[in-house]
Amino acid sequence: MSKGQSKIAYINNEPFEVQGEETILTFLKRYMGNEPVPTLCDAPNLKPFGSCRVCSVEVALQQDGPTKVQASCHTPVVEESYIYTHTAKIEKLRKNIVELVLTDYPADKFKTDSPKNNELKKVALDLNITPDEVRYASGKNHLNRGVDNDHPYMRSDLSACINCYRCIRACDEVQGEMVLTMVGRGFDNTVTMGMNEGFKESDCVSCGACSQACPTGAITDVFNSKTNEAAETIRTICTYCGVGCNLDVAVKDNEVISITAPYDAEVNQGHTCLKGRYAFKFYNHPERLRSPLIKRNGSFVEVSWDEVYDYIVDKLNTIKTNNGPNAIAGISSARCTNEENYLMQKFIRAVVGTNNIDGCARVCHSPTALGMQRAFGTGAATNSIIDLEYTNCMLVIGANPTAAHPVTGAKLKQAAMKGTTLIVVDPRETVLARFADYHLQLRPGTNVALLNMMLHYIIKENVQDDHFIDNRTEGFDDFKKQILALDMDEMSKVTGVDKHLVCDAAVAYAQAKNAMSFHGLGVTEHSQGTFTVQLIADLALITGNIGRRGVGVNPLRGQNNVQGSADMGVQPHQGAGYMDITKPEIQNLYTNFYKVEMPKEVGYKIPEMFDAAIDGKLKALWIIGEDVVQTDPNTAKVKKALESLDLFIVQELFMTETALLADVVLPGASFLEKSGTFTNGERRVQRVNATVSPIEGTKVDGQIIVDVMNRMGYAQPDYDAKTMLEEISQIVPFFKGIRWEMLGVNGKQWPVLEDGKGTEIIHLEEFKRGKGKFSYFDWKETEEITANGKEYPYIITTNRELAHYNCGAMTRRTGNVEITTEDVLLINPEDALANNISDGDLVCVSSARGKVDIKAKISLEVKQGIMSTTFHFPEIMVNLITSDVYDSEAKCPEYKVVAVNIRKSKGSYAMS
Amino acid sequence: MSKNLSALSGRKGLDNNLFDQLVSASKEGGTLTDEKLRELAWEYLMGNANTYGTISFYDFLKKENKGKKVYVCNGSACLVAGTQGNVTQKLASYFSEEEVGHMCCLGRCHENSAFNVNGYNYSGNAINNLNSIVTSKINGLEKYTVGANVKNKVLTGNPMDAATFKQLFIKAKNMGFEKVLDEIKVASVRGRGGAGFPMGLKWESCKNSQSDQKFIVCNADEGDPGAYSDRYLLEVQTYSVLFGIMMAGLVVGADRGVVYLRAEYPEAIEITQKAIDTLTAIGMNGSNIGDSNLDFTFKIIEGAGAYVCGEETALLSSIEGQRPEVRVRPPYPTQEGLFGKPTVVNNVETLAAVPWILENGGESYAALGTTKSKGTKLVCLDSFFNTPGIYEIEMGTPLEKVIQHFGGGFKSDVKALHIGGPLGGIVPVHKIKELTLDFESFQKEGFLLGHASVVSIPHDFSMIKYMEHLFEFTAAESCGKCFPCSIGSVRGKEMFTKALEGEKINQELLNDLLETMEIGSLCALGGGLPLGIKNALHYFKEELNPHLSA
Repeated sequence: MSKGQSKIAYINNEPFEVQGEETILTFLKRYMGNEPVPTLCDAPNLKPFGSCRVCSVEVALQQDGPTKVQASCHTPVVEESYIYTHTAKIEKLRKNIVELVLTDYPADKFKTDSPKNNELKKVALDLNITPDEVRYASGKNHLNRGVDNDHPYMRSDLSACINCYRCIRACDEVQGEMVLTMVGRGFDNTVTMGMNEGFKESDCVSCGACSQACPTGAITDVFNSKTNEAAETIRTICTYCGVGCNLDVAVKDNEVISITAPYDAEVNQGHTCLKGRYAFKFYNHPERLRSPLIKRNGSFVEVSWDEVYDYIVDKLNTIKTNNGPNAIAGISSARCTNEENYLMQKFIRAVVGTNNIDGCARVCHSPTALGMQRAFGTGAATNSIIDLEYTNCMLVIGANPTAAHPVTGAKLKQAAMKGTTLIVVDPRETVLARFADYHLQLRPGTNVALLNMMLHYIIKENVQDDHFIDNRTEGFDDFKKQILALDMDEMSKVTGVDKHLVCDAAVAYAQAKNAMSFHGLGVTEHSQGTFTVQLIADLALITGNIGRRGVGVNPLRGQNNVQGSADMGVQPHQGAGYMDITKPEIQNLYTNFYKVEMPKEVGYKIPEMFDAAIDGKLKALWIIGEDVVQTDPNTAKVKKALESLDLFIVQELFMTETALLADVVLPGASFLEKSGTFTNGERRVQRVNATVSPIEGTKVDGQIIVDVMNRMGYAQPDYDAKTMLEEISQIVPFFKGIRWEMLGVNGKQWPVLEDGKGTEIIHLEEFKRGKGKFSYFDWKETEEITANGKEYPYIITTNRELAHYNCGAMTRRTGNVEITTEDVLLINPEDALANNISDGDLVCVSSARGKVDIKAKISLEVKQGIMSTTFHFPEIMVNLITSDVYDSEAKCPEYKVVAVNIRKSKGSYAMS
Repeated sequence: MSKNLSALSGRKGLDNNLFDQLVSASKEGGTLTDEKLRELAWEYLMGNANTYGTISFYDFLKKENKGKKVYVCNGSACLVAGTQGNVTQKLASYFSEEEVGHMCCLGRCHENSAFNVNGYNYSGNAINNLNSIVTSKINGLEKYTVGANVKNKVLTGNPMDAATFKQLFIKAKNMGFEKVLDEIKVASVRGRGGAGFPMGLKWESCKNSQSDQKFIVCNADEGDPGAYSDRYLLEVQTYSVLFGIMMAGLVVGADRGVVYLRAEYPEAIEITQKAIDTLTAIGMNGSNIGDSNLDFTFKIIEGAGAYVCGEETALLSSIEGQRPEVRVRPPYPTQEGLFGKPTVVNNVETLAAVPWILENGGESYAALGTTKSKGTKLVCLDSFFNTPGIYEIEMGTPLEKVIQHFGGGFKSDVKALHIGGPLGGIVPVHKIKELTLDFESFQKEGFLLGHASVVSIPHDFSMIKYMEHLFEFTAAESCGKCFPCSIGSVRGKEMFTKALEGEKINQELLNDLLETMEIGSLCALGGGLPLGIKNALHYFKEELNPHLSA
C-alpha cells in the first residue's frame, strides 16, 4: 500500500486502510469483526461516550515506540499510528475495571444470567473474572435499589445497573424524550425516571429504547425482551403505521414472546415505538375470531370453512345473476399484504366483474395520491426518510408524527432539537409545534388559505427558484397572477394567523438550501384536501425543492400498507399499477393478463358504496380488516347502509362494531401469522415473514380470497408470497424488478427496475408527467361551517393518540390500553370556563348528525373555539358526530372540521 | 453530555441562561422546588428529568442543601491545619446541625478556620467574633502577603483600572487583533490551569473554526484546595482578567465572554460584577465598545459547588444547565464548545497576563522563565509558612528560594508539600532543593506544577489519613461518568479507612487500582489522583509500611 493515496494505521503491527475521520473502534471493527475489543457503554445506535473504558487500547506513534492508553470508542485513528489491542497491560486494565464493576454487581444475577443476554457477564468471562475473584472487601454498594414494576411494559431493577448511561442516551439520542437522567454525583449516580417518579408516573412514552440499550437487564420490559430465551428470531415488518419499522420477533413454541428492533434496519435503525415493540399480544388474545360465522336468526353460528364458502359463493352468484356484478363491492385492507390486496382487487375485477373496489386510503390519503399525481404524475412520496439527514428545513403540515408515526416523529424532533429549521402548520400545539421555529396555528379548514399566503409571500419577497420554474414546471404565469391578487389581510383573518409570521415561515422554507415537506391527514381529510396537496406541491415547485437529497413532498402514510394497497389497484378507477381502467388499451392489457373480460366503468368509492347500498343498488359488500362503523364518519349513515345489504361479509381478527352487523364473518390472520410484502410511506417494499402459524381456526387472508376465487370458477394457485409477487411484477410496471428472494432485509424502493435496482428519490431529472404542474385554488369555507356553523359554533378536529391505532381493535387488546384508557376531548381553558366545564367533566358534544358524551381534558394544546379528540374507543363512537362532507375531488371525508356545540353532560361518567 | 440539551439550552443562550436560572432560584431556600424544576424544563423544552438531574449534582442546588445557612471549609489546608473542629464547635451555638454544610474550599488557606455565612467568607480569627458576624453581616477581612521576584510584575503589579482598560483596548484595536494573536504566540504563554496548553494555539484554533457564534469562557472555578491565586486576581487584578477575556474574544471572533466563577468565592463575584458594571458605564461592555463598532459583552455565571466543573468540558456542560459530566474529546471546545459553538476556555491567570504582554510585547514575556516554561507563575503558600501569601515567581526559580525567601520558612515541622492541588504530587521536604518552579522540573522529578498551590503536611499529620482524604475528595467530586474514577475512588477510600482501623492494605491491589485510575480514567480527576498517592508510597515507605501487606 503506498503512502499518500490512502491513510494507513497498524493494528497489532499489520497495516490497514483508515477511512476518513473514524474512531479506533470503528476502524478495528472493520478489520477484526464486530467485537474486536470488549465494550460496555458502547451501542450501535448511540454516540461514543467513553464511560466504561474497557475498550481501551495502546497506541504508539511509531512501531515499538512509547504507547498511550486510549479509549478506542471515542479516540480518532491517527495516521501511521500503531494500535495494540490485546497487550498484557491492556488486558490487565480491562480486567481491573471489570473487577471494580463487579464490586457493585449482584453476584446471584451474575451467576444465573446467560452471557448471551448479559453483556457484563460476557465481557467478564472473556476477561477471566467472576464475582468470586473480586479482591476488594465489600463496601459501599447499590445492591438494594428498588425494583419498578408499576408500568404496563417497562421494568427496572437498578441493583443490576452499572451506570453505563446507555438507557439515558437512548432516551435522549434515539427517542428524544429525555425521561431518564442520572441523579446524584460520582459513585452515587442513580438512573432515575422523570423526577424520581418511576416509569409509570414519568413522561415515558414506552418506546423501549432504554430497555433495548441496557447491557445487563437492569432496565427491561414485561416480556424480558433482551433476556428471554427465544428458540428463534424472525425479522418482519410492523403492522402499525406507514413508517414500516423492521422488527425482530422472538418466537418460542410457535408463540411470539417479545419483539426488538434490528440495528441494521435502514428504516428504523434499532428503534421502534410502543406499538411495534410491545403491542403484539392482540394476536393470540382470547377474543380473536377462531371460526367462520354465519348470522342466523340474528345471532352468529359457527360453521366450517366449506359451509361458509358455499354460502358466500351461492349468495354472490345469485346477486351477480339477478342484479349484475355492479351490485357487488369489496373494501380491501391496508393492513394486509400487497399480495392480498392484489388478490382482492383481482377477485373483484376478474372474478366478480366490477371495479367496485376501494380501500381505506379513501378515508385518509386519497387526496394525496390524486393531488400528487396531478402535480407530479406519481401519487407517492418523492423522497425518503433518510433525506432528513440532508435537509435544512422541515415543513410539517397537518401531521402529528410523534404520535402517529413515532419513529419518523422522533427523527423530526431530533433534527429540530439540533437546529434544523422547523415550520409546523397545525391547529394544535403538537409536540413538534413546541420545538418549531414557526408554528402557524390556523383554524381548521383553512389550509388552502394559509398555503396561498405562503405562496403569495414567496413571490412577493422574490425568493422563488426561477431557474427551476423555467425549466421544470408549467402553468406558473397564470398561477402567479392569481396568487398575487389575494388580499393577505383577509387571508390572515380567515386563517387566524399573523401574516408576518406566515411571511417569515414562507421565506425560511424558500431560502433553505434543501427543504422537505411532510403532511398527514390534517391536509387530506378536508373538503379541499386534494387542492391542499396540490398547493403543497406548488410550494415544492416554486422553490425548486424536488429531485435531490433533502427535499420533496413526503406524505406520512397512515396504515402500514396503505401505499401498497393503492399500488396494487385497490381503487375503483385504477387497476394494479395505477393504470386507468377506462382506457381501452389498459383494459386489453388487464384482459390479456387476467384472461377474462374486464369491467369498463369506474367503480364506487367507499362513500358511494354506502349511498348505493341505501339506494338499493349495492347488494353485497365484502370488507377485509376495516372497521367502517367506528372509523368512517357519520356512523348512523354507515350503519344504515350496511344494514341495507343482502350480503355483508366481514373478514376480521375481532368482532368489531362493523363485524357485528355482518351476515358472514371470516376469521383472518394477523401480520405475525403470514408472509408477503408491505410498502411503507417511502415506497419501500419490505418482506413480511410469518413468525407463527395462524391461530387455529383462522386462515391467511390471501388464502381465503384464493379459495373463493377458485370456488367461483377462477383458477388461482394457493396463496404464496413468492409466486404472488412474481405475478404482480409482471403487471405492475414499477414492480418489474422485484423478486421475493432478492428483497433482502431492507427491501427495495419502487420503482424497481428490471435489473433489481430501487429508487430512493423520484422525479430526479423530469417529472413522471413531464413538467411539474402549478395549480391555483381559491380557499372556500367548508359546507360544514356554512351550513352548521351558526348553530354549532365550536370546531372539533380529530386526531390520533400515540398508544392506539385506528379503531383500536388491536391496541385495545394489549397493554397499551392501560397507558391510554379512553378517548378524551381537549378543550381550551377559556371555552371550559365559558361552559362551566372542569377537567374530567363529562361533556355532551353535539353536531348536526348526533351527539356523544366524552370526558373533558382542559389543555392549551388547542386554541379557543377549537377542540380535538380521537376515535380509538367504541365506547365513545366519536364518528356519530363527524360529517359526511367529502373532499370534492377524491371523496375523502372531512374528519378534521366538525361544527359542534358543547354543554356539561347531565349523565355521570362511568369509570371503566 | 447531550447534543440535544446543548442545542436546546443554546436557544436561550446566555441572556436567559438555564443554569443561571437554576442557581438564582435556589438562593431563597437552598434548593429548587419540584414545581420550579418542571416549569424550567417546560420553558427550555427539556425533560423534567433534566433539571432534576442537574440540580442533584451540585452541592448548593441539591435537595439536601435545603435550609443550609453556614458552610465549613473542608479543604486540605484547613484539614491539615486542624482548625475546623473548633470552627464547627463554635458554630454549633448559633446554628443547628442541619443548618451547617461544607464547602471545599474557600481559598482562605493562608489563615484557615474558614467558613461561609450569609454569603461571605471568613477565616483566621473571625470565628471568635461569631456574634458580630452573624448579626451585622460584615465583610470577612483577611490578610496575606503579595510578592514577586521580577521587577516588571506581570500579574501582581499596580492593578489596572477601567480607564487604563479602555486605553489598552484602543491600543490593541489600533495594533489589529491579528497582531494581538501574534504577540500572544510570541509570548508562548502556557495555560496556568494545570494542563499547560499554549494559549496562542488555542485562540488560533478557535479563530479558524467556522461559526456564526463563538464564546470565550474564563475558567474561574479555582477548586484546588490550597489555591487562591485566581481569587486574588479576580478580586485585585479584576480588569486584567476581563481584558484578557475581551482580547481572546476579539481575536477569535467571539462577542460574548463568560466568567464561570465558583460560588465559594462570593467576594470575587461581587468585585468582578462591579468591574463589569463600571465597564458598561464607560461604554466598554456591550455593543459598539469604545466606539469601535465591535461588540463584546461579559457575563458572570456563578457556580454551585462541584470541583469537576474546573474541568473545561464539565464546565461547559454546567453553563448549559446539563449535568457537568466530563465530555469525550475530540471534539475540542475550540471546535464544539458552549452550546455546540467554538469556544476558548482559559484559566484566570492565563488571561490575566494578556495586558502585560500587549504593553510590553510578547518577546519581553518570552524572555522571562525557561525555554519551555515562559513568564511567571503565581504560587500560593498556606498557613504553615511564616509569611503565607501569593507570590509571583519567574519560571525556573528554585523552589527552595520560594519557600525560604518568600515563605520565610515553615512555622513548624513539615514533612511534605502537596503542590498543584489534590491531583498534584506530594513532595517530601528533602526533594525541595532539587526542584525549580516550572512544568519540566516538576515533571522530571515525578511531580506536577499544576496550578502551583502549596499545602504543607505537618510532621505529625498521618500520611495514611492524608491519603484517605485524597481518595475521599476524589470520591466526593468524581462526576461518576467513567468507571475507574467513580468506583475506584470509593474502593480506594475504603481501603484507607480500613487501614486507619488497623487492617492492612493489599499492596498489589492498591497498585492495580492506582494504575487502573491513572491510565483508565476519562479526565484528570481520576487520572491525577494516583500521582500524589504514589509519591506518598514512594517517599514515606517507613511511615506507611506497617499499614501495607508484605
